[in-house]
Amino acid sequence: MKHIKYIALAFIGGLTISCETNFLEPVPEVAVSSAGYFQNDEQIETGVIGIYDAIQGVNSTSLDDNRGVQIEYYLTEMRSDNTRTKSQEGEAAQFEEFNVTTQNGLVANYYRSFFNVIYRANLVLDNLENATTGSSAKFEAEAKFARAYAYFNLVRLFGDLPLVNGLIGPLDTDIAFTRVPAANIYELIVSDFEFAANNLDNSQKNRASRAAAQGLLAKVHLTLGNYTQAQVLCESIIGGDYSLESNFSDIFYNESNNEVIFAVGYNPGVEADSQDFSAEWMNGVGRTAGVNYVTNEAIEALETFGGNRASLSYRQDLSQATQYQVTKYLPNGEDGGADGKSFNTDATMSGNDWIVLRYADVLLMHVESILAGGQATSAAAAISSFQQVRNRAGISDTVSEITKQDLLNERRVELAFENQRLFDLIRFGVAQEKLSAFSGANGYGFSATDLLLPIPQREINLSNGKMTQNPGY
Amino acid sequence: MHTCPLKRILLWREVNIKSPLRVIDGSKIIILYLLVLVYKVKYLKSQTKINLKLNELKMNLKTKFLLIALLLVNIQLFAQDSFMVSGSVKDSNSLPLLGVNVTVKNSTNGTQTDFDGNFSIEVKTGDILRFSYVGFVDQDVLIRNQSQLLVVLAEDLNLLDEVVLVGYGSRKKIHMTGAVASVVNDDLDQIAVARVDDALVGQIAGVNIAATEGEAGSAPTIRVRGVGSLNGSSAPLIVVDGLPVDSDFLGNLDMNEVASFDVLKDASSAAIYGSRGSNGVILITTKQGKEGKTKFSYNTYTGFKEARQSDAYYASIAETAAAELAANGVLSDKTAYKQQIGIDRDWQDVIFDGGVIQNHSFSARGGSENTKFSTSLGYLHDEGVLLTDDFKRYNMRIKLDTKVGNNFKFGANLAPSYSRRRRFDGSTHDILRQTPWLPVYHDDNTIQYVDRNVYPDVIVGDYALQRHFDNYGPNATDISNTSNTNPAAKVLERDRNDYKFKLAGSVYADFKIMDGLHFRASLSGDYQNTFRDRWQGVESNRNGASAANYSVSNENRIHMVTENYFTYDKTFGAHDISAIAGISAEKWDFQGDSMLGSGYTSDLIKTLSAATVLNSMGSFKYAERFRSYYGRVNYAYDDKYLASVSYRRDGSSIFGVDSKFGDFPAASFGWRVSEEEFLKDSEVISNLKFRVSYGFTGNKDIDTGSNTIDLYPSLPLLGSSSAIVNGSAQTAFIALNIENPMLQWERLQEINPGVDFGLFNGIVSGSVDYYQRTSDQLLLYNPVSSTTGFDSALVNLGEVRNSGLELELRTRNITSEKFRWSSTFLASTNKNELLDFADANGQIQNVDAKRASEWINSVGNPISSFYGWVVDKDIPLENLNNPYHPVGAEAQDVYVKDLNGDGLIDDDDKTILGNPYPDLIWSITNDFKIGNVDFSFLFQGSHGAEVRNMGDQYLFNHFNSAMDFNSATTPNQGFIKEKIFTNDIIQDASYIALRNVNLGYKFSKKLTEKLGLSSFRVYATGQNLLYKTADGYTGFNPESINDTSPTTYGYQRAGSPIFSTISFGTNIEF
Repeated sequence: MKHIKYIALAFIGGLTISCETNFLEPVPEVAVSSAGYFQNDEQIETGVIGIYDAIQGVNSTSLDDNRGVQIEYYLTEMRSDNTRTKSQEGEAAQFEEFNVTTQNGLVANYYRSFFNVIYRANLVLDNLENATTGSSAKFEAEAKFARAYAYFNLVRLFGDLPLVNGLIGPLDTDIAFTRVPAANIYELIVSDFEFAANNLDNSQKNRASRAAAQGLLAKVHLTLGNYTQAQVLCESIIGGDYSLESNFSDIFYNESNNEVIFAVGYNPGVEADSQDFSAEWMNGVGRTAGVNYVTNEAIEALETFGGNRASLSYRQDLSQATQYQVTKYLPNGEDGGADGKSFNTDATMSGNDWIVLRYADVLLMHVESILAGGQATSAAAAISSFQQVRNRAGISDTVSEITKQDLLNERRVELAFENQRLFDLIRFGVAQEKLSAFSGANGYGFSATDLLLPIPQREINLSNGKMTQNPGY
Repeated sequence: MHTCPLKRILLWREVNIKSPLRVIDGSKIIILYLLVLVYKVKYLKSQTKINLKLNELKMNLKTKFLLIALLLVNIQLFAQDSFMVSGSVKDSNSLPLLGVNVTVKNSTNGTQTDFDGNFSIEVKTGDILRFSYVGFVDQDVLIRNQSQLLVVLAEDLNLLDEVVLVGYGSRKKIHMTGAVASVVNDDLDQIAVARVDDALVGQIAGVNIAATEGEAGSAPTIRVRGVGSLNGSSAPLIVVDGLPVDSDFLGNLDMNEVASFDVLKDASSAAIYGSRGSNGVILITTKQGKEGKTKFSYNTYTGFKEARQSDAYYASIAETAAAELAANGVLSDKTAYKQQIGIDRDWQDVIFDGGVIQNHSFSARGGSENTKFSTSLGYLHDEGVLLTDDFKRYNMRIKLDTKVGNNFKFGANLAPSYSRRRRFDGSTHDILRQTPWLPVYHDDNTIQYVDRNVYPDVIVGDYALQRHFDNYGPNATDISNTSNTNPAAKVLERDRNDYKFKLAGSVYADFKIMDGLHFRASLSGDYQNTFRDRWQGVESNRNGASAANYSVSNENRIHMVTENYFTYDKTFGAHDISAIAGISAEKWDFQGDSMLGSGYTSDLIKTLSAATVLNSMGSFKYAERFRSYYGRVNYAYDDKYLASVSYRRDGSSIFGVDSKFGDFPAASFGWRVSEEEFLKDSEVISNLKFRVSYGFTGNKDIDTGSNTIDLYPSLPLLGSSSAIVNGSAQTAFIALNIENPMLQWERLQEINPGVDFGLFNGIVSGSVDYYQRTSDQLLLYNPVSSTTGFDSALVNLGEVRNSGLELELRTRNITSEKFRWSSTFLASTNKNELLDFADANGQIQNVDAKRASEWINSVGNPISSFYGWVVDKDIPLENLNNPYHPVGAEAQDVYVKDLNGDGLIDDDDKTILGNPYPDLIWSITNDFKIGNVDFSFLFQGSHGAEVRNMGDQYLFNHFNSAMDFNSATTPNQGFIKEKIFTNDIIQDASYIALRNVNLGYKFSKKLTEKLGLSSFRVYATGQNLLYKTADGYTGFNPESINDTSPTTYGYQRAGSPIFSTISFGTNIEF
């Protein structure tokens, strides 16, 4: 046993790396464990910013990433009579043709993205105990605002939905796959927005504010037919911290202007924080050949009712003369040069903020609340609000009465390509009539059940028969 | 192919035989030294500072001693009377034996017999010549005055000393009780492939190696006994000289360095690798130096590669025009115009440009009784068959083993390698879409069709874009169907490379504690640096300079393993015991960073320096730790009754605090019936062994697509992100996963009865194995409802069974002096079945949100089965909007069958459409030796697997709206579905291939000697010279499978082609 010393040496050498304390529990350096996180206001605020990060979505070509609001136009504007694909090809064309399949990847992505917003909001709500009293209510209000905003979009697109008002895990399949009636979803939306409106101020435009909560809640009430509440909410915004931009173009190219109440922030050139929809709307600049192209019907409306907004909202495609593009969100404010597609900066990483709610919308909602589901109104308050919006567009003739159709037309041209049209048609109760006519004229296949999107097939498949599909799919 | 003679191991044993320094040498050295010393002192005395110099002398005594000793050895050699003895070595049937080691005992002198069994060697009277040859009994011959020797070696019919590596040691083959297959690198290094795993195709029953990608330097997929695991990795553990490595390591290993492969197939054999053994273990041993004269060898080959093209994926305009003319009587403007451009080309000719593969390998191996070395140097250049793919590798290995005294030996092994791989930075399905009329570059003819209003600046020599040709003629015809850049530009204007530097090394020390008991300690590890860069040039994208960018990433990985174990080998009478017990610790540290530059204005400077915007900065740091305790006892009684019991306990940092450790026991038993009295003298049965094994192994590998989650799945992780508020980015922390603190090892249990047999004195030999491997508590990244905030969560769920038969049959058909012929037949069947999937039973999944073809995971069927509707009939041509545009396009849709007959098509009409797992894999090898000529060929086949060939959707332009059915005229539209959701694109992936043909010629001794060489052989080989796919398969590589989750396996998106290679090479030894 004379070699025992070598053996001992070798053992010591060999064991050195294995005898470190907690050898089998290396601490992750690229991420933190949430078990010890959310301990103070600063940490909780990073969770709140995470909610906005989810709304903003990921600027990526992969539908495995949450694309969030960046693909919303497919599900809303292109499913109305305002826009379509340029080439009328592929999955994107399912929207304009009212032929959306249950496997549509964009639909699945939107569903997932906005439930991700809800999840991140619930994560903040679940971790408020270490917040200081001063911050706690504000964080709670922001989280609830985001949850309500996400649910409001989802419930209008999909109808009855799973009600997820807390953190759930993979085993909570009852919650994940049980579709609760839309009315119950709206109850949560209303109470969340109310909490937000009561606990926020108007200091932010890329984060939740009191006016943003009030304005969106007004839209919720309009949707539910609660016109009085809507009117009160609109009037609490009107005359306050916001005003119309005098130049229509400035709304979109002068960020955080006085008219913006809530916008999703983007910065150019940064992969993580930019958006690509501006590029997708051009001709073969983004990943697609061109989407959200303007329909003849929308052009006609803009030319008839738009005033100076028409020329600021769309243009002829400089590469293909028979096609028309949206100009409200031109990549980074550039026009794409002589061919409309040669940009100085990377158009696929655009920094244009996406406006969710602006003052003109509130003014027109105000009119709508006074109209209260009727056919016309000549109330002075309504006419005042209506006239402000028209005056800014350079339409100076005075009106003495606003019909439902007038208001719908006005909303169409004022808010064209801002993902409002489909919801307006539905809220005004004319979606079936208008879209049937539009569909017939273009050879598309609209039917009444197309007003709701299909629940993504993936969820149906995972639910083992628990989750029901919308009719018509 | 031979069975497994592990010369390396045999030589090891020789090292262990002690050989004391001869006294006579010692005394001579001393005398000589004294003489020199006297001379030196005399000389120095004439100088002034004698004393000082004398001191210096003393201090350098050791160095001088060595120098003089060396001198002396030489003198001694010259001083002795030596002479040449020559002779021949034959077996008992008077057949000459090739490659017999002839060594002078206790010296470094040695040689080998040539093809005719002849040798000659310098000896002195009194030397003992030892003749050793694997499979034969060693023979010693004392040299007196003979000049001519005839040695007859007795065949060791029982191959008693033949050993097989079993992990942490070896075991006599006759004592084996598990399912282990061995392949010796006799001529694998002549197969012109860039990776060692590519050369193993068809060599081992139960091991399926598929060329999933044809790109130069890409790794094949290796599966041992089917897909047992549901997580991302079903790849076997690979252990190179005791160091566990990832399969990527094989890309930097030179086949010329490899001595042998031993594949541990059943759980009992693999259980000694515990938690990493469930997908099988491949042990690779590199070549070692041999005692004797230093042997230099130089091997080289040059091969010419050509891609296998798909006829289905080429539609010419001429054919289209003819069809259109026949149907309509007139040509459409579009077709006429396309013909006018004057190009009708198969794009496969452009991007499958073929290539040359070249390999040079140089080695020097040798050693003395106590120290052996092996060095090698290799260079490989594979141009690949695709347009830009290219793979270069430089590798080197130094291996040194030495013995100090009687009880201690140590060794070191160091292998640096460097490779550069240029990628084919595109996807074939995207490039090959049917545009046979599109030129790559504009020439004098094509330039005249350019739409000058939109493209005033295009000149001859520019890339031609489809849009250039729009708006032509009196009717302003548009023929383009994409605004993309030229398909060739997509590849040529990109430059994407992987540069890998790897350094693998190990040191070990082995102490003999007492007779039979050794302690071995080793420290080994590998360092890997991977630098990736990717330039996407101005013309590579339709968006021009604004989309040009350059990205880099740099990753480092350090992996270290310490092993400390005891081995005990002892024979007591009829009892033979070998045992091991040890502990090991292992760690991996990963670190890396990446960046992307954009804002380029030209292609002139293709680095970050010309970027104006830097983006996507990221970095990572991960760690993984692993600790194990293991032991094994092998026991044999009378070489007849055999048993083996092993146990391993593994702890991994991946799992939660309470589930870190897993236990992996195994046992196996064997009975050599042929050794029993009643069979011992049988003339028919020379060998018969029954064996059975049972054991547990595990799997810890997780592949969620995020390394962070893979390595810390038990923790609720938060990562950093950001959102823009008032124009500036604010930090967000976002949750990355649904944590699972209970997550634990995936477990596999396997039972494997088998029989080994040899008939007619070994003329026929082989083995049959049946296995049933059941994996449960599978590590699964299972899809969950999006309402949880996530797509998937890691769980231990489900149970899968693979069962099958493996047959190995080897025959020596003819063994005459001039003509030898032997054959090997391997076959394996496998059946995959999902036994339990808990709540997820019947789960339907897709891999691509945009092309959502479905898979189903249902109990009673293979893990992932293709799911969808069944095609009824095509939509008639007259109902299609425009059936001739684009060229070669097919309709997107098809009529499907109402399977349940309820009058409508819905989810209830979907059914299982096939599965991606082969039922039968086989190979036949025939080896011939006729005089100096050797010839062999290997056929290999795979049957019963299907692929979902998504290539069809792209290459037949399914989604082009011009081909859609006319909704006004088409009847029964409710019965129409997209082809990608049907069995239209589920295709039979079976194939039969002539994997290898090898023809060699060894020059006669006479000529070889004239050239000053000891051996000289030239050869020609061919790979895949015949490759037959099943009817209905349209792609160019049925083995190509996209890397998706095992529950959605079998997705093919054109991929890269199978290729054939014809190569020429030489082996030179001197």
